[in-house]
Amino acid sequence: MYLYALIFPIISIIAIIWFITRYFKGKNSLITVVLWSIFWIIVSLFAIFPNVSSAFARLFGITRGLDFVIILVFVVLFYTVLKLYFIVDKMQNEINTLVKELALKNEISLDDEEE
Amino acid sequence: MENEIAMEDKNSTFVVLPAYNEATRIRPVLEDIARKGYNMVLVNDGSSDNTLEVIKQVKKEFPDKIHIFSLLINRGVGIATQTGFEAVLKFNPKYIVSMDSDGQHSADDLDEVIKPLVTGEAQAVIGVRPFKDMPKSRSFANSIMNILTRIFYRVNVSDSQTGFRAITVEALDKISINATGYLISSEFIREINDNNIPFAEVPIQTIYTPETQAKGTNVKVAFKILLQMIKHQF
Repeated sequence: MYLYALIFPIISIIAIIWFITRYFKGKNSLITVVLWSIFWIIVSLFAIFPNVSSAFARLFGITRGLDFVIILVFVVLFYTVLKLYFIVDKMQNEINTLVKELALKNEISLDDEEE
Repeated sequence: MENEIAMEDKNSTFVVLPAYNEATRIRPVLEDIARKGYNMVLVNDGSSDNTLEVIKQVKKEFPDKIHIFSLLINRGVGIATQTGFEAVLKFNPKYIVSMDSDGQHSADDLDEVIKPLVTGEAQAVIGVRPFKDMPKSRSFANSIMNILTRIFYRVNVSDSQTGFRAITVEALDKISINATGYLISSEFIREINDNNIPFAEVPIQTIYTPETQAKGTNVKVAFKILLQMIKHQF
């Protein structure tokens, strides 16, 4: 048994517990828990039973198991980056609104300085 | 020429000036505008130099002519101009002008830019810079932006990236500006066109110094605007 077959399942369990804890604290949605749990279960399966990746690969018409794993990682990374982009974009808009409103409510007068 | 704009019209005209790190350049700009009899709404865009202090000093000289608003952090020329357009409504303006605060634009052009609004010939005006006077890289970037504005926003203007523009308060009420950065110039033109607001182009002078050239539409900014234009299509 290779070391990665032990390490990846441990990381997966920690990750899944982390997502479930965040769900109970109301920090992420149930769908996030489910999607990330599926991802980490697949990662663990690939680590413990490397041949499983070949079975998945054939399912998607890809010949090598490793190719499937690499493509899967790219898809997950792309999704994560896209999601982060939308979160940052939303936050930028909220900051803009906040900064603008604060400025509009506080016209600077020379009296402020004298006080 | 100057006498053609009545004092009453000047009193109800407000010049919106977004300012980011303009401490060394802004004083003469403000003094020139105030001496011409126009009101100003200054928006300090979270400057890290002492721009705000300089503006306050000039306000001491012209207390009734200058209104100051300050963004806590730098958010870009688009947000600063949006803030100015909203702030100006507190003062019941008839005409609103926006121009750069780095000394690139001349206060001498204000009368000419306002004139089509006062005469009723137009409800919005863009000040057109002579491309032949621009440095080559700047002229190239602006020409590209004109083409992109034509493609993405279907508006054909001589200078899509000008920061010198004027609009009546009624027309300002009809348009919606959401751009955060330099895209605001193209967006302003698109909104004018989409809302069928009659507009005019007025030639303006542009004063290029090494400092004014450091800002504005260069090729890098043009590329950023292109990305934002694509994003706005969705």
